[in-house]
Amino acid sequence: MSGTAMGVDVDRVSKRFAHRVKGEVYAARDVTLRVQPGEFLTLLGPSGCGKTTTLRMIAGFERPDAGRICFGNDDVTGVPANRRNIGFVFQNYALFPHLSIFENVAYGLRVRGEPEDAITRAVSDVLALVGLGAHEQQFPAQLSGGEQQRVALARAIVIRPRVLLFDEPLSNLDAKLRVQMRNEIRDLQRRLSITTIYVTHDQEEAMAVSDRIAVMNQGRVVQEGTAEDLYHRPATQFVAQFVGRVNLIAGVVQTINGRSATIAALGRAIVARPSPCDLIAGDSVQIALRPEAIAIAQTSAPGSLQATVLSSVFLGDKVEYLVRCGDETLQVARYNAGPTTPLAAGTAVGLSFAEDAVVVLRTSRESAT
Amino acid sequence: MSAAGVAPTAVVAGRPSRDIGITLTVAALWLLLALFVVYPLVMLFARMLGMLGGRGSVDFGALLALLTDRNQLRAFWNSLLLAFLVGTVGTLAGFLFAFTATRCRLPGAAVTAIDASVLLPLVSPPFTTAIAMIFSFGPRGLITYGVFGLKGYTVYGLGATLFSEALTYFPIAYLTLRPILTAIDSNIEGMAQSLGASRWRVFRTVTLPLTVPGIANAFLLLFAASLADFATPLILAGNSFPVLPTQAYLQITGLFDLRGGAALSFALLVPALIVFLLQRYWVSRRFYVTITGKGAGQTPFDSVSPGGRIVLIASVISITVVVAYFYALLLYASLVVALGANHTPTLAHYRVIFTDGWNAIRDTLIIAGFSMPLGGLYGILLGYLVTRHRFPGRRTMEAVSMMNYALPGTIVGIAYLIAFNDPPLVLTGTALIIIACYVFRYGPTGIRATVALLQQIDPSLEEASQGLGARSGTTFRRVTLPLIMPAFFAGLGIVFIRSMTAISATIFLVSISWTLITVKILEDITELSLGPAAAFSVLVVVIVFVVVAGISRVLREFRAPGAPGVSLFGG
Repeated sequence: MSGTAMGVDVDRVSKRFAHRVKGEVYAARDVTLRVQPGEFLTLLGPSGCGKTTTLRMIAGFERPDAGRICFGNDDVTGVPANRRNIGFVFQNYALFPHLSIFENVAYGLRVRGEPEDAITRAVSDVLALVGLGAHEQQFPAQLSGGEQQRVALARAIVIRPRVLLFDEPLSNLDAKLRVQMRNEIRDLQRRLSITTIYVTHDQEEAMAVSDRIAVMNQGRVVQEGTAEDLYHRPATQFVAQFVGRVNLIAGVVQTINGRSATIAALGRAIVARPSPCDLIAGDSVQIALRPEAIAIAQTSAPGSLQATVLSSVFLGDKVEYLVRCGDETLQVARYNAGPTTPLAAGTAVGLSFAEDAVVVLRTSRESAT
Repeated sequence: MSAAGVAPTAVVAGRPSRDIGITLTVAALWLLLALFVVYPLVMLFARMLGMLGGRGSVDFGALLALLTDRNQLRAFWNSLLLAFLVGTVGTLAGFLFAFTATRCRLPGAAVTAIDASVLLPLVSPPFTTAIAMIFSFGPRGLITYGVFGLKGYTVYGLGATLFSEALTYFPIAYLTLRPILTAIDSNIEGMAQSLGASRWRVFRTVTLPLTVPGIANAFLLLFAASLADFATPLILAGNSFPVLPTQAYLQITGLFDLRGGAALSFALLVPALIVFLLQRYWVSRRFYVTITGKGAGQTPFDSVSPGGRIVLIASVISITVVVAYFYALLLYASLVVALGANHTPTLAHYRVIFTDGWNAIRDTLIIAGFSMPLGGLYGILLGYLVTRHRFPGRRTMEAVSMMNYALPGTIVGIAYLIAFNDPPLVLTGTALIIIACYVFRYGPTGIRATVALLQQIDPSLEEASQGLGARSGTTFRRVTLPLIMPAFFAGLGIVFIRSMTAISATIFLVSISWTLITVKILEDITELSLGPAAAFSVLVVVIVFVVVAGISRVLREFRAPGAPGVSLFGG
């Protein structure tokens, strides 16, 4: 049932809206994306960052004010949604409430004028594929949220779309179902190898399903890469804060030595590598440290940072600490290998971390919202 | 919310009430309903069967003769035909307006203009378009005689009545359909488009089917309105096209045959009740919920092609122009000596209505002034009791309260006339009979608004008050009442508008001591003094507009942040 996988090129696309107070605002600004055939790309960002607008432009629901969108070699910028051959899954599913499940899924095939027996076969196949074979004659209102989501998915893939688009498809489901559905979506996409663009604000979901993630903020793509890239090598303070949790510590560059730099922070010299190559001594920077990258110990080994426990929260798989280290308050996470007793508030501890866990970020005024 | 959280709420919402205040209020309401709804209808039925007013025996022969009279049968079928056509044409026009207002990406000012032009027929006395029709197309009409020079052209008949009623009632269809079209999640239409459907196919296979329950609803409302309309056919139908409400009126006022009138009005009751029950209990259950959870598209679906948009807007503008023309003509006619003959400006007609017609104006305002608060109070009290308290006959009470609202005005008027003309309760000739008629006929709008509003307010708010030790009365006053104030004002507004503009029921109830502007307009028309009739109509429109604007303002003030809204004309 898979169509020939086809890449998507979004080339410097912009979309402006007239805002009552602010005047013209950019919902999307110079957005450029290259999605490989069969790839699963996620647009990740906070609400209002332009990810949905970008997706709707790819779908053809919005016309860009500038830029080009190509499916393979076809320039579809001016092509209306109904002639782009896409599959779209909405956050609220957008099932047709007056049609049965069968007719919902058959809609796109009927529009294409396919013969009746082909429709029956294709719809039965795809409903079996999403595990809803027994529900053909029911109506959307009779199904649970997860089932409705599967119908929406079946309806989108049955037409063998060139591109599959998802707009926050899981946000109306409860937490457990969300995890289950995202795995199903991922499996199905791999099996059918349809080029897929997926929008979400949930970084965990993005990491779980995507081949590649593009983080957006204020209408622009701020970083693109695999989940590991974004998590371990965030390019900006925004990405560091938005993807996972992070300690941001102010520092000043002391010396540069090839790909490593020495930063004055937390009252000592911290070696970080690799670091951005355009830094010079005297630059003020921020260093990013993930809570789980910091080792916490009651016995302070030589070279460790002295700190005091402020509070601890036991979460089962881990204990989260807030510790005071010099002028900074840091988050530290320690995973439990076996039964442990969290360190009490006021305990003196030593902190340590590996050099390659330290990420140096230029100080920017870019905000997290 | 867990299932365990829902269950107790549902139980408490209908908890049996042992509160003495509630019991007394329920008893008082039952007494009033028995007196002003059940009793008149029973008397009407009895009179029709000949059990009252002279002979004691039931005389079916004469009754049958009347009902099977060829003329009356024709009137019956004419009524149904007219109602069907008005329902069809009016719903089409209402859909056109609603679709254009919601799908053509009109600027806000244009939508406001549409709303205003639609509001005019709603707040006008029933003859307004009829008078304007005569001014335009009558024997010396501005258009037929003035423009085309036609002589001896008769406008009277089915065509003119249909045109006038459709123009008067299509706003009801607009108000019914517009929220439904607005509520369709634009993602659903976008979805159909992304599956390859063209705009026209999206409209045909998604938008239209989702609107079908609303269309059926609008059709039935218009059907009922036309079936009950008495004023327009009286003026425009002429002799060639008799309809039942007018025949019943003529039977009583012309032939002084109360029993015949009762019988004819009763013949109306059957289709009217069928339509009402269909509308209430069948169509209203068939609405689709298209918005599930959040996430409706931020931009409305682009459902109209540029060409289609021009056609739609042009059609809406032409209908709006006709409405505007009619009202402008009415205003003009009230300011010249005699439209069609002598166009010298004069204020004489206004002088007439404020001297000779002053009694009618004063009486109408007094009656409306009393009916308004009573109707509003009746609406929220009954609405609150049947939604939030459980007592024997709760459902029956709601159904009975809807009867006078559902029945054509002619029936209600004749029933009141029969019931309150003789002891034990003689009310004929008083203001009370008219006030009671308005309260029990139009107060149900407030009941429905209250019920709809309360269904959106979680009973836990009231439980919280009771949990803090408040009695029912206190809870009602301090918690529920502030929340249902919008319904109170909506009920108030409708009762006032109808008190100013209704005629079908009250034409039977006016007397020498108490008369109404609408009845005076009818008299003026029959005496062919069209100038004062036009002046009266303008006056009513102005008064109603001012009061409606005031109430709408209060409604906005009272709408607490986050509380569900109530439109004056919604539902």
